[in-house]
Amino acid sequence: MLETGFGYWDAIAWIVAFIVICIVVYIIRSMGKKEHRKEAEEPFFSGVELPDEKVHVKASNIYWGFIESMKGYYDVMKKMHDGIINNYISWFVFIAVLLLITLFAKEVIP
Amino acid sequence: MTGEFIFWLVVKSVIIAGIAIFFGLLYKGIDRKIVAHMQGRVGPPIRQPFLDVIKLMSKENIVPKHAIKWLFNAAPLICLASSIMLLLYIPIGGFDAILEGHGDLILILYLFAIPSIAMVAGGFASSSPYAAIGAQREVVTMISYELPLAVVIIAIAWKLSGIEGDVFSMAFIASHPIWQNVGILGLIGAIMLLISMVVVAPGELAKIPFDVAEAETEIAGGLTVEYSGRNLAMLYIADGVKIFAFASLVVALFFPYGIASLLSLNGVASIIADFLFFLLKVFLVMFFAVTLIRAGVARFRITQVVTAYWVTITLIALLGLVLLMWDTHFNVRWL
Repeated sequence: MLETGFGYWDAIAWIVAFIVICIVVYIIRSMGKKEHRKEAEEPFFSGVELPDEKVHVKASNIYWGFIESMKGYYDVMKKMHDGIINNYISWFVFIAVLLLITLFAKEVIP
Repeated sequence: MTGEFIFWLVVKSVIIAGIAIFFGLLYKGIDRKIVAHMQGRVGPPIRQPFLDVIKLMSKENIVPKHAIKWLFNAAPLICLASSIMLLLYIPIGGFDAILEGHGDLILILYLFAIPSIAMVAGGFASSSPYAAIGAQREVVTMISYELPLAVVIIAIAWKLSGIEGDVFSMAFIASHPIWQNVGILGLIGAIMLLISMVVVAPGELAKIPFDVAEAETEIAGGLTVEYSGRNLAMLYIADGVKIFAFASLVVALFFPYGIASLLSLNGVASIIADFLFFLLKVFLVMFFAVTLIRAGVARFRITQVVTAYWVTITLIALLGLVLLMWDTHFNVRWL
């Protein structure tokens, strides 16, 4: 049993149950028809023939919907990451000061 | 772990697989019938999903020529198996979960991600541009609904942390309904968490208005466009099982009440009454979280899905959490 102090998980029980259920599902699946016609293997592309190579999707495209809807946030973030080291150091100092104020405000302010 | 435990685990896993598939398909049939009536159609008979599965099993199992064959075939199997696995950790029909004490609520959250990840893998492996777009959209949808879902879970666990016990255990949550541990502010907060959970459901289950990953009218079924025959049958069953599992989770988190004690029933009668009452609760959750919503609204765009979950629903869930905290802090009780 794996325990974190708050949560717990018995990985062995999970694996045993998962294997059993996979076997059940495999048996159900194997009752279905196995064969198919060779000419039916062409992927559906609205009647257009796909180029004869594997279709890849660039990793940068995966989060397109997310980046597009959060455009406002990402625009600000991109502007902040301008590559000028002075700006990065300024941000570092600014955040460090904020943290120090938050941590020690009670002790400094009477 | 004893041999006896493993023996009973194997037996119960097989039984739960049967229950999950039967009720998954049954509720799918009821859902389709009600949606049809709402849209002024007669609709298919309730047994139609069973007939669909039988028909699909007799159809060709086409694997596209450039697909990664082992992954394309394995994805529906893993999707269905992991959907059934959920029901081993969620209390059903008034009984403790079969693997109660062997996995907590956080594990259930992760397990809910596995069927979606399997479908994404199957989509990318199928070599179809439509499936690739569907897989991308599924990833984005997953990122979107996980945040409000996590907020709801944490809020409930935090509220119950004031009581002695394991707050992430499903048995503990089911035996301490949140409604009995809150005042006025907490009640409003808990209702907001329930609303968030209900809106997360169509995203988690790829239903309208959050079914952008399949979107038949735009990307011809997306993730499932290349699936047919027995592979599609597995995905079809998994869809029903996931609905049943998610509705069971909502019931366990928010409505873990039985009816037997109210009717002063004992023995077998109380077990049957509680089980039937559980099925009714699951139906009501499914009706409000899936059926009603998908019959009443149109599909969102992918960007709207992100905004809806990350902004609107997360804010509602966070406000619910804050109200639960204020409820504890100010301790405003009923008059």
